Amino acid sequence: MARLDINSVSKAFGATRPADGLSLTVESGEIVAVFGPSGSGKTVLLRMIAGMFEPDDGDIQVGGRSIVGAAPERRGIGMAFQNFALFPHMTARDNIASGLRAKAGEVTARVAAISKLLKIEHVLGHTPRELSNGQKQRTALARALIGNPDVLLLDDPLRNVDAKLRYEMRLELPSLLRRGSAAVLYVTQDYREAMAIADRIAVLIDGRFAQIGTPDDIYAQPASVAVARLFGDPTINLAEVTPVAEHGALSVVVAGARTWLGSGVGVAPDGPCWLGVRPDDLVISSTPGDDAIPARILAVTPMYEKAVLLLRLADGTEWLAALPHDAPLGAADDAVFVRFAPDAAMLFDRATGLWIGLSHRRQAA
Amino acid sequence: MDMLELRGIDKVYHSRGKPPVQAVCALDMVVEKGEIVALLGSSGCGKTSTLRMIAGFEDVSAGSIALHGRQIHELPPARRKVAMAFEGYSLYPPLTVRENIAFALKSTQLSRADASRRVDEIARLIEIDDILDSYPRAISGGQQQRVSLARALVRDADLYLLDEPMGQLEPQLRAVLRGRIKSLLAERGMTAIFVTHDQTEASALADRIAVMEGGLLQQFASEKELKNRPANLFVASFIGEPPMNLLDADVIRSDGGFRLSIGSGMTFDIGASALSREAARTLGETTKVRIGIRPQKVAVGTGNVPVKVVSNQWLGDQSHVAGDCGGRMLIAVTQGRVAARPGEMVPFALEPRHFHLFGVDGTCIRHAEVS
Amino acid sequence: MEHSSLAGLIFRGVALTLIVLFFMFPIVWIFMMSFQNNDQILRIPPRILFEPTLSNYKALISGQLHTAAGNLQITFMRNLFNSVVLSSAAVALALLLGVPAAYAFARFKFRLGETIAFTLLSFRFAPPLLVLLPLSLYYQELGLNDTYFGIVWVYQLIALPLILWIVRGYFEDISPDIEHAYRLAGHSWWEAFTRIAVPLAGPGIAAAGLLSFIFCWNNFVFALILASADKQPVTVGALAFVTASGIQYGQIAAAIVLSVTPTLLLALYAQRYLVEGLSLGAVKG
Repeated sequence: MARLDINSVSKAFGATRPADGLSLTVESGEIVAVFGPSGSGKTVLLRMIAGMFEPDDGDIQVGGRSIVGAAPERRGIGMAFQNFALFPHMTARDNIASGLRAKAGEVTARVAAISKLLKIEHVLGHTPRELSNGQKQRTALARALIGNPDVLLLDDPLRNVDAKLRYEMRLELPSLLRRGSAAVLYVTQDYREAMAIADRIAVLIDGRFAQIGTPDDIYAQPASVAVARLFGDPTINLAEVTPVAEHGALSVVVAGARTWLGSGVGVAPDGPCWLGVRPDDLVISSTPGDDAIPARILAVTPMYEKAVLLLRLADGTEWLAALPHDAPLGAADDAVFVRFAPDAAMLFDRATGLWIGLSHRRQAA
Repeated sequence: MDMLELRGIDKVYHSRGKPPVQAVCALDMVVEKGEIVALLGSSGCGKTSTLRMIAGFEDVSAGSIALHGRQIHELPPARRKVAMAFEGYSLYPPLTVRENIAFALKSTQLSRADASRRVDEIARLIEIDDILDSYPRAISGGQQQRVSLARALVRDADLYLLDEPMGQLEPQLRAVLRGRIKSLLAERGMTAIFVTHDQTEASALADRIAVMEGGLLQQFASEKELKNRPANLFVASFIGEPPMNLLDADVIRSDGGFRLSIGSGMTFDIGASALSREAARTLGETTKVRIGIRPQKVAVGTGNVPVKVVSNQWLGDQSHVAGDCGGRMLIAVTQGRVAARPGEMVPFALEPRHFHLFGVDGTCIRHAEVS
Repeated sequence: MEHSSLAGLIFRGVALTLIVLFFMFPIVWIFMMSFQNNDQILRIPPRILFEPTLSNYKALISGQLHTAAGNLQITFMRNLFNSVVLSSAAVALALLLGVPAAYAFARFKFRLGETIAFTLLSFRFAPPLLVLLPLSLYYQELGLNDTYFGIVWVYQLIALPLILWIVRGYFEDISPDIEHAYRLAGHSWWEAFTRIAVPLAGPGIAAAGLLSFIFCWNNFVFALILASADKQPVTVGALAFVTASGIQYGQIAAAIVLSVTPTLLLALYAQRYLVEGLSLGAVKG
């Protein structure tokens, strides 16, 4: 088995640059999620690896051997597409077996094995139009997996299946993908899917990797405001602050309330910053204090096991708080006081949006 | 006060060469003034047909619709006093965003200044004030959806109908916009019905949710009620993410209660004191039940149900642990992190007080205790 | 909204009947004419009931035309054979050239691609008479006049653009990802083309082939100028019935029935593909 190396790959279509010096290594047996908003260049990267078009610049290697310029069928790549891309005139069985060059008996055995694993044995004789979306997606996965490719590319494979199936597949996929110890690149637009499935996540924004790291690292210490906003639902709260250092400790003022961040920032920032606090890290109470931000509840929007409050802080900023369902809530229009734990705060440079420090929420895996 | 009243609504589609399809069956529903109601279900459940019948784009096959005391089901759409946002946005391509929104106010007596003030107001609220002079083709799908929403909400109507209003919204904006729209609707006492397949959206926005399946209204209640007191197995397994864990169990009478056996020697005792008289009687007459327990109520690391960990996924705010228990998949959701690697054996705790019990036909026998 | 009221149904029925009458009348009338002799046909007022005769068909098949002015040799069966050979060969050649070309236009963006495709289509805009004079001069120079090859070649002006534009649309409707998937499964470009693209565009190719066959079959002007008696198709051969002693309406009708029959049968047979082609498009997505 072989690893996948992407070395400063660039690609331009006219004025847009969907890939702008991308570098990434995926080890054999590793799952790396390429995550980013739509239009950030995820699919283009995948298609360059698959050989549907070639990079303008840079190199792509599988097992140390460059595959740039090679015909797609010679690259040793398995791929699952967002729209499934099944062959409509072939049965599920023929679809899965289309990539195998082996004796009839062996083909049958391998198709049987992979379809059992993916629980589609009972529909092997059906043509794609007779399959449900979930079955189509499993057939497409089986077709990508069966040849034990060196590199597996998955282009948002769960996009077109319903929520329940997507959840089930999210649980099953990691072990399925690790089976053949391929280097797996998994494209998704859903940060939860990326965190659940991947060993590492490469955050792609406007054709560049904004951050490459473990799900933990990225969630707790995002490299920029843009990355922080992509991870977490509801989205992270931001406030414009200028931290002040006194007696060796740092403090910020949000809407008139001062919160001490402690001394563990490392580099003391000077100048204006963005303060980031995740909605889960806010505490709501009815007791005022110097450290409590006065706010008014605009709306309560429950989300699964959490209640999400839309708050208007004293200075007009809107923040979101996500509280456990059993916590005392309050109703729309109530006046409340907001606090946050100092170690949950993040500081970003106001001008560049880049990470400065804090959020010690990262836990050893 | 009742704002909208649906009585015995049927919708049957006839297409040649095929048997007629009953999309909606005997639907009764009353929506109060100022309420926000979600029609929730998977595709083909009849929710969109219902919305289109209220809007007047489909005839009712049987039944009546009353809005604000007026019978409206035979009126053309324009005379029903309803505003609608379409799933496909249907913006007018030759008009700018501002003109698209203002178009909805053309037939009113508003002065130009008033109309433009209202457009600006709604545009600020849903963050399209910076694209007011763009044309629909020049803006993203999420922005188009917001414009379509603005065009519906800017009108004065008795009822606001929204078809999948937030499906295409940028994830970063969704939570804030939900909050703002809910607060706008509440502040102005607007009555709204929206269709969605996304239960997150339904529970976030709606005061009450109508769960539909197969053309039938399964349950019409608040989000809390749906979660704590689901009317049947369908609602129980449909509402909640991840879905409720379900286990088949044999019922054995024991002294002072019942013993539920899920095989492999694993049993749970439910004392008669924890059951209503009716639930106890039903349990006494049956031999098989389905146990439903929400993943959030399954504790990991303690308890007496050993499972083999299939996956353990940390999503930043919660852990999802899937375990194999004698061939059945059990899912536990915890707020903190869990130290369990795939392949390891860990205990799960399933407490009988968290059990919902259903008959094999899907009827509800007993709800979990609300803590 | 559905219109299922009784008035609607009646209106729809009446409208359909009128349309069917309008379009079917000439065909039915010709069919009836083919079983009558000239006297019966020219009778005023015309009658629906008549004594049928097979003499028209006999004359065509035997090649002996009896007229008031005497016996004439006609080569109708030969003409029919010519039509079959010319049209089939032309369509076969056009498919061979047109399908790969259509694929190229659908899949690859190249310089002047749209221009070339449009130029090919524009052959259909020009009246054939415009090109006939230079063409016949060139053909005489090249010795292509009055050869099957020459006529098949000129028929490409009819068949090729049609096939190119119809089939291109069908190729464009196939998601390129399907072919990418087949190539990643270890197959060459050629295999992806022949085993995925062509079978999936099959209904479209059949429809385009059928249409261009009918257009070739119905062509008159090219064959009139470029072919002599023994290479003439039926459309030109029918001129033989305009004889010194008058127009042989009965034989013309019979000739029309005989020459329409093959294309009609082909169309009925291929209808299946056309319908399939439409429904395939409907479920895709």
